[in-house]
Amino acid sequence: MEPPRPPAPPPPPAPHHDTRGFVRRYIFSTDHKVIGIQYIVTGLLMAIVGAALASLIRLQLGFPDQQWPLLSKLLPAGYQGGVMLPEFYLAVVTMHGTIMVFFFISYVLVSGFGNYLVPLQVGANDMAFPFLNMLSYWIAFLSAAVLIFSFFVTGGAAAAGWTAYPPLSALAAAVPGSQMGQTLWLLSMALFIASFTMSGLNIVATVLSVRAPGLSMMRLPLTVWSYFVSSILGLLAFPPLTAAAVMLLLDRHFGTSFFLPSGLIVANKLVPATGGSPLLWQHLFWFLGHPEVYVLQLPALGIACDIMPAFTRKPVFGYRASVYCLMAVGCLSMIVWGHHMFVSGMSPFSGEYFSLATMTITVPMTIFGVNMLASLWGAKLDLKSPMLFVCGVIALFGSGGLGGLFLGNATADMQLHDTYFVVGHFHMMIGGVTLLSTFAAIYFWFPKMFGRSMNETLAKAHFWLTFAPFFTIFFMQHFLGLQGAPRRYYAFTAYDYLRHTRGQNLVISLAAFLLVSSQFLFLINFVWSLVKGKVAASNPWRATTLEWTLPSPPPHGNFGTAPVVERWAYEYGVPAPEGDFATQTVPSAAVPVTA
Amino acid sequence: MLKKLEGSLVALLFAGTAIIGAWWGAHAWLPSLASRHGAGIDAMLKYLLLTTGVLFVTGYVVLAYFIWKGSRRDAIGKRFASRRTERLLAAGLGLTMAAVAEGGVLAIGMPVWSEYFDAAPTADAIEIEVTAQQFMWNVRYPGPDGVFGRTNPTLVDDTANPLGLDRSDPHGKDDVIALNDITVPFGRAVHVRLHSKDVIHSFFLPNFRVKQDAVPGMTPEVIFFPTQTGHFELACAELCGLAHYRMRGTFNVVSQKEFDEWLKKQQ
Amino acid sequence: MNARALLVETPTVRDDQLKLGLWMFLATVTMLFAAFTSAYVVRRSGSDWHPVALPSILWINSGVLGVSSIAVEFAHARGARGRWKASAIAILTALVLGVAFLGGQLLAWRQMAAAGVYLPTNPHSAFFFMMTGAHAVHVVAALVVLAWGAVVTVRAAREPRGWAARMGLCRTFWHYLGAMWVFLFALVSLY
Repeated sequence: MEPPRPPAPPPPPAPHHDTRGFVRRYIFSTDHKVIGIQYIVTGLLMAIVGAALASLIRLQLGFPDQQWPLLSKLLPAGYQGGVMLPEFYLAVVTMHGTIMVFFFISYVLVSGFGNYLVPLQVGANDMAFPFLNMLSYWIAFLSAAVLIFSFFVTGGAAAAGWTAYPPLSALAAAVPGSQMGQTLWLLSMALFIASFTMSGLNIVATVLSVRAPGLSMMRLPLTVWSYFVSSILGLLAFPPLTAAAVMLLLDRHFGTSFFLPSGLIVANKLVPATGGSPLLWQHLFWFLGHPEVYVLQLPALGIACDIMPAFTRKPVFGYRASVYCLMAVGCLSMIVWGHHMFVSGMSPFSGEYFSLATMTITVPMTIFGVNMLASLWGAKLDLKSPMLFVCGVIALFGSGGLGGLFLGNATADMQLHDTYFVVGHFHMMIGGVTLLSTFAAIYFWFPKMFGRSMNETLAKAHFWLTFAPFFTIFFMQHFLGLQGAPRRYYAFTAYDYLRHTRGQNLVISLAAFLLVSSQFLFLINFVWSLVKGKVAASNPWRATTLEWTLPSPPPHGNFGTAPVVERWAYEYGVPAPEGDFATQTVPSAAVPVTA
Repeated sequence: MLKKLEGSLVALLFAGTAIIGAWWGAHAWLPSLASRHGAGIDAMLKYLLLTTGVLFVTGYVVLAYFIWKGSRRDAIGKRFASRRTERLLAAGLGLTMAAVAEGGVLAIGMPVWSEYFDAAPTADAIEIEVTAQQFMWNVRYPGPDGVFGRTNPTLVDDTANPLGLDRSDPHGKDDVIALNDITVPFGRAVHVRLHSKDVIHSFFLPNFRVKQDAVPGMTPEVIFFPTQTGHFELACAELCGLAHYRMRGTFNVVSQKEFDEWLKKQQ
Repeated sequence: MNARALLVETPTVRDDQLKLGLWMFLATVTMLFAAFTSAYVVRRSGSDWHPVALPSILWINSGVLGVSSIAVEFAHARGARGRWKASAIAILTALVLGVAFLGGQLLAWRQMAAAGVYLPTNPHSAFFFMMTGAHAVHVVAALVVLAWGAVVTVRAAREPRGWAARMGLCRTFWHYLGAMWVFLFALVSLY
């Protein structure tokens, strides 16, 4: 029995004559698609800086006795006699973390893809507040510029770790980076938070108020749900860091003692502060710091869930449960921050509470992870590059997440806190899950964004040469932590008990150089395809969400008249005129609605 | 054909990763154990390594299988699992994870944590004060009178009087000072009071499974019971500045006689 | 357009969006002051807590802010009846009183400095200057919104549609900051 003939598709929106000049179109644009691409490009540029910094770290740790005369010439402030200066090492470590977390993953994945996809996937012509959106990008750009500039001030960039614990970050004499570098870091963060707030407000308002007719919340793709929860989380969690940053700036420059106790002696001089508490900073910082990782993770997971069905040709497993899990994780993530502070000197009773609370997060995350895995069950798998990266996401989410069990309970954490176990864990989650999901997203949506396809062979090579070294590096680091190797160490050569980690560090460094080199495959592919890539159709992956009903790239103004949605986002595996799937706008009379 | 080969290779990637990872993880990584409460921490770590190891291998093998099978299919299998399957899987695995995580934490972890923190120092515990600074560990013993002398930050001079000892306090006259070297007699509990002069440091004894941040303005305390004699190392585990990586101390557990001799030599 | 019709005017999608955006923004502002407050509460238990005497002009400033809120309400009530001129005067009064509030706060700061109490003098003074400063920054933003509301009100005689929703935004933001001030003032004076 033949499927009924669909009614004639509605005429494409009349291209409205775009009268904007070059500057309004590409520089100060209020079009969410342009802003999204601006964020992505900025984030990728910052990633190059972050990766270069990582290479310097691994050069030092893998080859602690070597000299690098070339680096002395290129970076005279950081290398003397071919040897890396410890003050430079600490600045590099601090800035690597700050850049990768806030200026790479957050810019590309959260603000970049968030801005690009959310209006399209809810059937809107733009974000709720387009002008605010443009402002958010340019403040973000300024924030990045301030941070990069901090490398060049006296004392160099901030060097107290991305966590910036006072008194180290408060006292200029405690470490060179705590001179102007730390102040610029704090100002950069303040700008970042302002930008993120504007972006977050936009995403939430857009999801709640501009959805196309028929697009109920439970018909939204998981991508949109993840950005929705992530944005609300960010809006509520960032302000305490703003408050903390203000207080730290006041301690640094205006003589207050929010975080500085009495009796501090630095450079053989008594510091005049009295009565402050270093722990206060930690509580405020981690109140943001923990939800921040979910702000980054949730969109990564949501995107992975939405890319998958295009290559498995069946719906995601357990859509509803996954939505509830996203919300549960969002809520729970706000009450567990103390697991970063088990040995900080806070009360042991708090330690017991935070252990129990943290363990509860494993439940929704497990269900979500199992849903992702189960979505592969019975699939007709097409292993194109986005799908390869999604498989990597599922894998790293599982293994990285398991490491969280160790760190989330106070007992095990006593041995593992501030060791390479933590470094391995968070890199697997933030570096792995989010990074691979970012690559999946770029390979998947590049055709839509730029109207051209990326080279599939290079993309697949990129996957293999990224996953293998990535897993090697960060899996091995878990065991370095079990051996007791502390983090942020310039070298491990001072300790007998760490002597035998030399070989492991060498292997990790070599894998890291391979990992960094492999990213050139991606960069070359990206740039080349922008210019010479094969022209892409409007729906090359035969996917169901609303952006695929528009041309590639979509016109300014997106849909024109709002599309009418009659089904959820996972109508795969159904007999339909377009093949085995129905986009969300296909009327229910043409193809039955299954959910 | 090519599709099947590719599917097999990707499946092999994940399965291979699991097997190699499990092999790598199955070594003994922990530094040798030298404390009583540390046995509880090691039990927790080993429990977690075993359970997460099993989950890790299972998960990756299942992933590999799905990839291998999926790349061989011409059509999808059942499109929708039944609501019942969805709920069973979610509830089943969610509860399993809760049991592993919460169960393990409660059963194994809590008693260790409480024992460690609720432990009151025994009467014969050796009392030590450790004052961390950039980049060394100042160690002080109270001497025969068992009382630490007063200190005053205004009296601190890094060369002459790093602890800021108040010389007018009679209790301080018999205090014993050492630098980067802690020696304790075997068979007694160790009670350490931590101070910091400048930034946050962290008192990390890898072999004793002891880690406690030394926070300026606070006096966190650590109590533990060494179970081995020997010479062990002390590392700083909280970024404290340029020489954080070589802020090394030694922690020696010796016989009571050797300890008394050592103490006399320091005075 | 009669009064009833104006008040029950169906909000447009745009109005809803702006209201949603404002409430979410206020949620973040609340979290900011919640963070300051929790830091204050924690610090207050310290042994070096010696509250400083706060200048009495703060009471006058509070009064000014309170009257400005009343003026905003008056502007809303008058506008709902279509009395645009009275409404415009009322909202401009609120604007002027808002600026007067900021002036009064600046005076309070100067009086404290004259008494030798500065930002780093002691924890109580540090929190006082920091929190009143943060509040003042948000008042500046609210004044911009009020000014926008004044423009809309002046134009409302010709174009009354949408006025009710926009006045709603002005009211919400302004009263929120008034309430926040009451809370902050109580915190630093009483606790």
